[in-house]
Amino acid sequence: MRKFILSLMITVISVMSVMAQRTITGKVSAVEEPEGIPGVNIKIKDSSIGTVTNLEGEYSLVVPDDTQFLIFSFVGFKSKEVALTNSSTLNVVLDLDVKLLNEVVIVGYGTQERREITGSVASIKSEAIENLMSPSFESQFAGRAPGVQVTTPSGVLGQRPIIRIRGVNSISSNANPLIVIDGVPVLDSDRSAIVDSNPLANINPADISSYEVLKDGSASAIYGSRAANGVILITTKRGSTGKAKVSYNTSLGVNKEINRFELLTGDQFVSIANEKRTNAGQSPLAVLGTNTDWQDMVFRAGFTQQHNLSISGGSDATKYFFSLGFTDQESSIISNDLSRYSFRANLNHSVSNRVRLGTSLSYSFTEIVGLNVGPGFLSGVIYNATRSLPNVPIYDSENIAFDGFNVTPNGSTTGFGNNLAGPDNNISNIGFVIQNNEYRNRVHRMMGNAFAEVDLLQGLTAKTQIGVDITLANDFRSLDPRHGDGRGSNGDVYMGYSPASRWNWQNTLNYQTVFANDHSLNITAGLEYQFSKFYNFFGQGSDLSDSFYRKNNLISGSFNDQFTGGGYTERGFDSYFGRFNYSYQGKYLASFTLRNDGISDLAAGNKRGTFYGGSIGWRLSAENFFNSDLISDLKMRASFAEVGNTEIGSFAAFGGYSPVLGGAGAGIGYDRIANNQLQWETSRKLNIGLDMNIGAVTISADYFKNNINGLILEAPTIPSLGVPKNKINQNVGSMTNSGLELRVMSKVLENESFSWNTDFNITFISNKVNSLVQPLSSAYNRTVEGKSIAQLYGYQWAGVNTANGNPMYYSGEGIVQFNLEQDIDGKNQKTWRAYDPENPANISVLGDFPTRDFLGNTLPKWQGGWSNSFKFGQFDAEIFTRFSGGNYIMNESLRGLLGQGFSNNHVSILNRWTESGQVTDIPKLFTATDQDMWQNSASNSRFIEKGDFVRIQNIIVGYTLPAELLASAFDGMITNARFFAQVQNPFLFTGYSGLDPEANQYSSQLQFGVDYNVAPIVRTYSVGLNVGF
Amino acid sequence: MKFILNTYIKRSLILIALIGLASSCDVIDLTPANLIPDDEAFSTEPRIESAVLGVYESAQIGFYNDVVQRGYPFGAANVEQGDLRGEDLYNDQLFYEITYTGSYSPTSANNNGMWISLYRMINRLNIILEKLDPAFESGLLTADTRDNYRGELLFLRALSHHELLVHFARPYMDDPSLPGVPYRIFGIDEVAKISLGEMVRRGTVGEDYDQLLADLDQAEDLINEGGTFRASWGAVIALKTRIKLHKGDWQGVLDEFKKLEGKYAITSDPAAPFRSGGQSTDNIFSFLNSAESNPGTNGALPAMLGNPNTGGRGLVKISPLIWRADFWMVDDTRRKLTSSGGLGVYTTKYVDATSFSDPNVILRYSEAVLNAAEASARLNDLAAAVTLVNLVRDRSIPSTAASYTVAGLEDQNSVIQAILNEKRIEFLAEGKRFGDIHRLSGEGRMNGVPPKASSRSITNVNFYTTDREIPLSHAIPYTSTRFIWPIPLDEIQNNGLEPIEQNPGYF
Repeated sequence: MRKFILSLMITVISVMSVMAQRTITGKVSAVEEPEGIPGVNIKIKDSSIGTVTNLEGEYSLVVPDDTQFLIFSFVGFKSKEVALTNSSTLNVVLDLDVKLLNEVVIVGYGTQERREITGSVASIKSEAIENLMSPSFESQFAGRAPGVQVTTPSGVLGQRPIIRIRGVNSISSNANPLIVIDGVPVLDSDRSAIVDSNPLANINPADISSYEVLKDGSASAIYGSRAANGVILITTKRGSTGKAKVSYNTSLGVNKEINRFELLTGDQFVSIANEKRTNAGQSPLAVLGTNTDWQDMVFRAGFTQQHNLSISGGSDATKYFFSLGFTDQESSIISNDLSRYSFRANLNHSVSNRVRLGTSLSYSFTEIVGLNVGPGFLSGVIYNATRSLPNVPIYDSENIAFDGFNVTPNGSTTGFGNNLAGPDNNISNIGFVIQNNEYRNRVHRMMGNAFAEVDLLQGLTAKTQIGVDITLANDFRSLDPRHGDGRGSNGDVYMGYSPASRWNWQNTLNYQTVFANDHSLNITAGLEYQFSKFYNFFGQGSDLSDSFYRKNNLISGSFNDQFTGGGYTERGFDSYFGRFNYSYQGKYLASFTLRNDGISDLAAGNKRGTFYGGSIGWRLSAENFFNSDLISDLKMRASFAEVGNTEIGSFAAFGGYSPVLGGAGAGIGYDRIANNQLQWETSRKLNIGLDMNIGAVTISADYFKNNINGLILEAPTIPSLGVPKNKINQNVGSMTNSGLELRVMSKVLENESFSWNTDFNITFISNKVNSLVQPLSSAYNRTVEGKSIAQLYGYQWAGVNTANGNPMYYSGEGIVQFNLEQDIDGKNQKTWRAYDPENPANISVLGDFPTRDFLGNTLPKWQGGWSNSFKFGQFDAEIFTRFSGGNYIMNESLRGLLGQGFSNNHVSILNRWTESGQVTDIPKLFTATDQDMWQNSASNSRFIEKGDFVRIQNIIVGYTLPAELLASAFDGMITNARFFAQVQNPFLFTGYSGLDPEANQYSSQLQFGVDYNVAPIVRTYSVGLNVGF
Repeated sequence: MKFILNTYIKRSLILIALIGLASSCDVIDLTPANLIPDDEAFSTEPRIESAVLGVYESAQIGFYNDVVQRGYPFGAANVEQGDLRGEDLYNDQLFYEITYTGSYSPTSANNNGMWISLYRMINRLNIILEKLDPAFESGLLTADTRDNYRGELLFLRALSHHELLVHFARPYMDDPSLPGVPYRIFGIDEVAKISLGEMVRRGTVGEDYDQLLADLDQAEDLINEGGTFRASWGAVIALKTRIKLHKGDWQGVLDEFKKLEGKYAITSDPAAPFRSGGQSTDNIFSFLNSAESNPGTNGALPAMLGNPNTGGRGLVKISPLIWRADFWMVDDTRRKLTSSGGLGVYTTKYVDATSFSDPNVILRYSEAVLNAAEASARLNDLAAAVTLVNLVRDRSIPSTAASYTVAGLEDQNSVIQAILNEKRIEFLAEGKRFGDIHRLSGEGRMNGVPPKASSRSITNVNFYTTDREIPLSHAIPYTSTRFIWPIPLDEIQNNGLEPIEQNPGYF
């Protein structure tokens, strides 16, 4: 690749000198490029005379007679200084410079040299993450690069991490970045209806050689309408010339929950539960029994392993890379499990010097075993385990009908134990549920592309590439008829099949030239077409004749009620684009892109949009006047682009009637109001940046500002209009993300036995909604003009009245209290009363309802990462730290655990108000007053906390066996071997009182910052081995 | 030279071929597979019938918390909300606690769900109402079919607006000039119509009742007699008896009732309206549920109200208050429409706890009879009133027990009270209790929601079978803000022009 991209620089003979001269000719090659490296710079030492090699790697240079040394340099290879001899032929073999390989950057439909890039591109090294245990690669991006925010919101394997590049760039359209693998935009759609099934979990991280994140407008503009949320370009590993290299990597480990909820013991529960009732004048229900921690039932040490085997190599003409991967990861929550088998074959073949072919093919099979994790679902694992009564046993060995679990004879709820009542909402015995209900998603994923490229003229290359991405997903869910979610319908078996496919065809023409010695041009023009289809159907049976039949598949005739359904949608995209890169002496750099895209989601007349981007760079350090020993490289760059967002929902502009099945029959129902006027959602992105090397320190800094206009919003309409879903897709509103990014890398120490490298990045970011038709509200959040998106919004806690234990809230400026007092003769005493600080015991004056207010922003304002890696002899080590903050979290988990019903509680409820004068933050207990005491239908400042944290993300220690040892012990069979041990997520430093400040129940842009019965994030201990043959 | 030329030509051809192939690719002119476009939705007679069925669907399984679920408004929720706002059903769990204890707010889900799903249904039917004349003119519909559809839709429009008035507005009999609800009479199926819709005000309760009756009078002229699962002439008349009762138009109730006499009959078995597939002589109108389409395990009446021992979830029980009420005879056969377990007594009006296919009974002839009984009593025709109430009562009490007599009941007031008590027994768990509390409080006969058995306090069947003291709570005086529901926050916040007013006291 590198060969042809940089190949066609015209050989220029340098100026003749008056001195005696001779001509040196030769060929430059490398082990990896035995046929010759084109474009190699050749310079006479201490002179400006030089040339470059031609396509075949050959050169010819006239040199003064007194010339002693020639310097050969080429990106990706170590520079070489070669002494001249009497011979007029000088053939040189260059060595690969592994460290510098990153300097060629994939930028979308092509590559660019790092030093010529004028946009903002962050590279993430694959080596840093491929040995880590994680269900998908992107979860390891967190903290690795400035401006790239990745949050793993829970410990459920299969749940997709939230990726935001330079903030939230859309309000109600998709805010995930475009992900492109080997040039093909992947189909990024969760195809499971029953569990979280992250489509990126189908990709084996070990197959990936590099990640590039295109952050600013100009870098991403080549992806035009799909670039608003940034672009992640992924390149998979390919072979290189040479004998086959085999490598095997493995790790084995254990997943543990990082934290558990602190709940009441059975004995504590009895007194608390009865106090709730006696305070309300009701009879006690709880009776001393066992001390059960139901969390023991749902958490475990999950075994986790991964194995990757690859073979790569090739001849001059044909290069190959094959890999096999296997991973099986058990989450710390029973019975969540993810396993993946993957296979990849990447081939490159040169038919001739001018024609090249290649393929990338991968297949993977991913199985996710999930469970009900609904935060408010009665069999939702966290909800249930934290609410179940701690004074009743999990098991009842005599209860054979329910497999020895403690369940009431009618199957409606968990057995009462000694209590006089069952748990609130008749919640099920989670042990039984986990053991008997099954949730399984299986995905066959085939991704591949084939390309051919032809050098038409010198410097002009045509390329065509066809890519496909096929997801064959099937779901299976089986619910036991006896107890839990399946009881209501006497058992239920569901199977769904949801295939999705995409083809993408790209045709590009690339022309590169250097003219008049100093002007280098790189022009790309192309066409792209993409078509995606999404099918789904399901079969479901309930009211089972016998539970025997429900274990593996739908079995005909085993159920009384049968249901089926399905749907189809399709989306198309086409694009005509061009990019123009220009560089003068490598000092002045300019780039311009233009793209015209069409999408099927908009109505005729508005389908097409034109997007552009431009950037300029100035390499000060290449100027003659720039003379600094300290600063070896300094580049300033600026870019501006207008890009778009295509992920606006399929057929977003269309309206009409969808089929509806009612009790009275199948009909049609008005489903969506059409908006033919709907336009593209566009972002204007500005970036100003600076790259420099000061001594051993590399610094990169950027300021950015993204203005998103014409936000496509599912704009809410007043419900009394009865407009379908109370929403209309409209272009309303605008939003800005702006911020600063800084990355500092340095070799702190290096000597023969010890080296220390450090890599630090930090991003400061602020989001502001500039205009909006009306506030957008959800239960916890509100988005309004002038503030950042998804503010927490709700009631303002005013404490507990010390005189009577009443909960108090602000109502406007004043404080009101909810009177916790037993009704007298059915006359309602429990109403809002005014609070008089002078006379707290006075409850005689009626009060207004509490009022709501803004309670904090949910987006972090600063975040970053800091990696320190060490080498000490044969040992290596890395400590990776991540930090984030400036945001607030609504701890809904805690509010739920302070409920006033007959359910278990958080231990802090022991601080409840019990006597006059007591200062506390837990009101008097009073059964069935949850709504008024805690103002449940909105955020509540009582439960809002700062989300700042510092997390030690990874600690890794490795030992590489000495080469001599391997050579003698294995006869050279094994070329390298490294053992390692690692802990992921070992330490968390935070003031947040919940389990984890990154826990988040909702991942939409408008609903955020809510920790609500989220399965705790995992900590992973593992050991492993990398070995090469 | 020739060679070079050839090469150029070859290369150019490849290039042209590539570009040609590529540009022949049309991938963006697509249409959705699951949406019939607006201009084709009423293009055939079967599609018009489908669209009308779509209104029934929206009535039966509407919108709740942004998802179609739980039987809002008339698949189940009207019963659950209507009864749990009253004292005759008892809430045992969190599901209905906000409704039961009266702790709703402009964002709480149940009251929002009712508002949203009712107006969703109303817009669906209003859109169709506007398409009927064009369909007739273009020959798709006969005049009779068009008229029958129109009658059907006008009935459903009145039914849903009345449900809104009961929950979100003060009663007519208090003061008809108080704010009503926005009465929607045109469909919104274009962006341009949004602002017209946003300008519709709440109007007064009086204006809304005028519109209700105008719709029903028109429907009465247009609609045919028919079955029990589609709106029919009988349903229109029966609803008119209910609405006129809310207005206090006693003579009007009697006039309407007379039209029904002879067309329907009270069943001798009180269970028949619930055991006949919804097609007994007493059934006038019900919304159908089926195994394939129902409010689901989190909404269906047999699940929510059913005895856990027979597969229900038992989140709601019959309140011991009515169970122990002295006006309900111990051996009244309607007590057999219940079943008890260790934790309490549950209704058995709804039985299919597995497939949730019980229809939701909306109008029964018995209701029209008791409406007429009350109207007669109000007009001091006590003999007629007692005769009518006995039609309902005598079939349920043992033959040895005495029928009501005017003499036995003493005065007009006690006759009225006997009729109201009879309604509580007869329609227990049919969602009608709050409607009566609403109108009777407006009239001053009741003072708002009476005390209820405290939420989650009835933990044993001995609250029913012994004289164990029932803890009482949750009364809401008529003057309280909470007597009526708040207008949803979204309704006020999302109106870009001029929001309608919130009910006083809510923020």
